[in-house]
Amino acid sequence: MPAFDWGYIWEAVPDLLDGLVVTIYVSFLAILLSLTVGAIGCALRVADHKILSFPVAGYVEFIRGTPFLVQVFFIFYGLPSLGLTLSAFWSGVVALTVWASVFHIESFRAGLSAVGKEIQNASASLGLRSWQHTLFVVLPIATRSALPSSLNTIVATIKNSAYLQAIGLVELTFVAVDRIAYDFRSTEMFLAICLIYLAVVLLVSAAGHRLERRLNRPYVGR
Amino acid sequence: MSLLYEYRAFLLSGFILTLQMAVVVMLGTTLVAIGLVTSLRSKWRPVATVGYGVVEVLRDIPLMVNVLMVYFMLPLIGLGFGPFWSACISISIWGGANGAQIFRAGLESVSNGQRETATSFNFGSIKALLLIVLPQAMPVIIPPYVGLLTGVVQATSLGAVVGATELLRTGQILIEQTTIMRGGSPAYLVYGSILVVYFVLCSLISMIGNRIEDYYKRPFRGVAKDAQLESKIKDIEAHVQTSA
Repeated sequence: MPAFDWGYIWEAVPDLLDGLVVTIYVSFLAILLSLTVGAIGCALRVADHKILSFPVAGYVEFIRGTPFLVQVFFIFYGLPSLGLTLSAFWSGVVALTVWASVFHIESFRAGLSAVGKEIQNASASLGLRSWQHTLFVVLPIATRSALPSSLNTIVATIKNSAYLQAIGLVELTFVAVDRIAYDFRSTEMFLAICLIYLAVVLLVSAAGHRLERRLNRPYVGR
Repeated sequence: MSLLYEYRAFLLSGFILTLQMAVVVMLGTTLVAIGLVTSLRSKWRPVATVGYGVVEVLRDIPLMVNVLMVYFMLPLIGLGFGPFWSACISISIWGGANGAQIFRAGLESVSNGQRETATSFNFGSIKALLLIVLPQAMPVIIPPYVGLLTGVVQATSLGAVVGATELLRTGQILIEQTTIMRGGSPAYLVYGSILVVYFVLCSLISMIGNRIEDYYKRPFRGVAKDAQLESKIKDIEAHVQTSA
């Protein structure tokens, strides 16, 4: 085992930062898209018509019940023979979106169910129209109660972007593994990427908790 | 489809290895989780702090990195286990860290009064835990824990990345071979089928989990406590990653 070399990590920093940029970019797109798909999916899932809600329920069950890595491979290697060729980057965005949106659908749905029937009656007796009720009463309450688990999914999306090294996307983990293949400096590289992932994850969770506290301010002390 | 039938023996060997890994990681996860939760709830401050740090770090590092790290680094300290065991070890450690979090939240959901009452009835701490606290914590622990177990079973597909010839790896090999020999990639067929196999496997585990959940929920059925349980479970699920 060669002696630990901080200088080696220092040399690798530019490469690692390039990888980190890709990691952040792919995760950022996937987070935005998955929140959007999650919101639409949740709206369909809670619809009264079985024709709308049933396919979404099936989609959620299937994606939850299958490994993310196989989903990634299916999208990257499988879809081209079905006529849809995506680059590693966009395969990654699509795969992460598909995976994360499922958890957002469930968390939004749980958030909606936190809004009780009494609140609907209360809005009705105040003369709120149905859209006003949805927009000004249901959404603020549902957002607050869905936030913790959606934040969890957002952080998990960033972590799961590491899976994309398996399809050759040059993100943080790929850069590290690639360098290890040349220089065999695995201790240095793994320490470096672990620290970077820790920093990113802790930063995002801290920002999330701040947001949570801010949104919960009206309830503090009641 | 005929392709899958032609290579059924090869794919089956991969599936059997996947099942073996599944059993190993489910047991490993449980053992690691029990070990870590013991240290988290330890009376000695340093032990609890170290346990807390280990759990946090393990949960924040991507599973993929964890798997690669164990595979590349264990041989450096003279522990070359090969792909099967290094994948199982890393997935168990990851699952154990998330499991410890679930156990801890579950045990904390039982009010302290229960523990104090058990002590006043002269129950030792182990006896109190097993006979009083744990049965009440179970309805909260089981649903997220079963979710975690299906998560670690799905995670065994990461064995393919480090070269364990489990189901996904056999699929990859099959695709490479056929693409070279016959032209035209059967990737969508092979990966699609593997997705279905995992889906069935995980649904089975969830079904068994539901049975166990029902058993432990008996005393709570139809009581107002049901809603309380629900919200506690949601709260735990919001703070662990159970899917991979």
